[in-house]
Amino acid sequence: MPPGGLPFLRGTEDAQEAELIQALLRKDRKATEEFISRYGDAVYGYLSRRLFPHTDVVEDCFQQVFLDAWESLPAYRAESGLKPWLLGIARHKVQDHYRAKLRFAQWDDRGPIAAEGEALETWVDRKEMHSKVWKILESLPETYRILLIWRYWEEKSAEEMAGQTGKTLKAVERGLARARDQFRRRWQNEVDNG
Amino acid sequence: MADELDFQRLASLASDEQAPEIEAPARLKSRTYTALIHRQRESGPLLGLTASKRSGRKLCVFEELVEIAPVGSKMESVFFCQVCHARVLAENFEHAPIWWAGCPYVRFQNR
Repeated sequence: MPPGGLPFLRGTEDAQEAELIQALLRKDRKATEEFISRYGDAVYGYLSRRLFPHTDVVEDCFQQVFLDAWESLPAYRAESGLKPWLLGIARHKVQDHYRAKLRFAQWDDRGPIAAEGEALETWVDRKEMHSKVWKILESLPETYRILLIWRYWEEKSAEEMAGQTGKTLKAVERGLARARDQFRRRWQNEVDNG
Repeated sequence: MADELDFQRLASLASDEQAPEIEAPARLKSRTYTALIHRQRESGPLLGLTASKRSGRKLCVFEELVEIAPVGSKMESVFFCQVCHARVLAENFEHAPIWWAGCPYVRFQNR
């Protein structure tokens, strides 16, 4: 199957999206309702995974994503669909938050970091795997959690992270090493305890 | 380097695609809807109810009454939800006791 599903279904989705966008631009209140109903859960899910545990920030960003989307809608070009477009706006909000959090964050530079261990053992069950990884991420100190998510889930390079937070590349790399070390220790505990 | 690859692999195995769906709170969707409508009104009136209905969208019982009344297009563009108790309940309670067909705030409820 091609990426994005069957061509016919994608075509139907495109037509529905095009109709929804036209109705939104005409300020049809019922289309506005559909816009939030259709994409609200995806935007909220993304924001809450990235901004845990700050529910207030998640809610502010959620509202701002839809308001920004409305402002930018006249310039919207249907290249990948409304959902990825909205998630792209949400991604910018998350990055603003990460930047602000890391700019003044300090991480402990003392003490040794364990040498790189063996490959992280994984679970076959994807759902179980997902829940364990996020459980550990959520248990980490916030700075370490942000460093790991930004680097590996948002795929930002250490150079970009340094540039955006005003830190040196060395400092970001040291922070990442400490964050990985903390994650590994907790992961090992999880493996040992089944 | 091995560490780096290990974490990249972990991130792909625990990516957002594997994540269980999380529903946005109904009161958040409700507040966002109201805010978005207010933002839309800043640049001119909303589309009239008759035009909305003609495009196949369902009106609530109160909007239906306005739509059939001889009130003119200017009146049809008013955001009636502003004075409706369904909006107030939906913006403040997660399981608001509202059930009217065609009401946006009812549609936002996670039931």
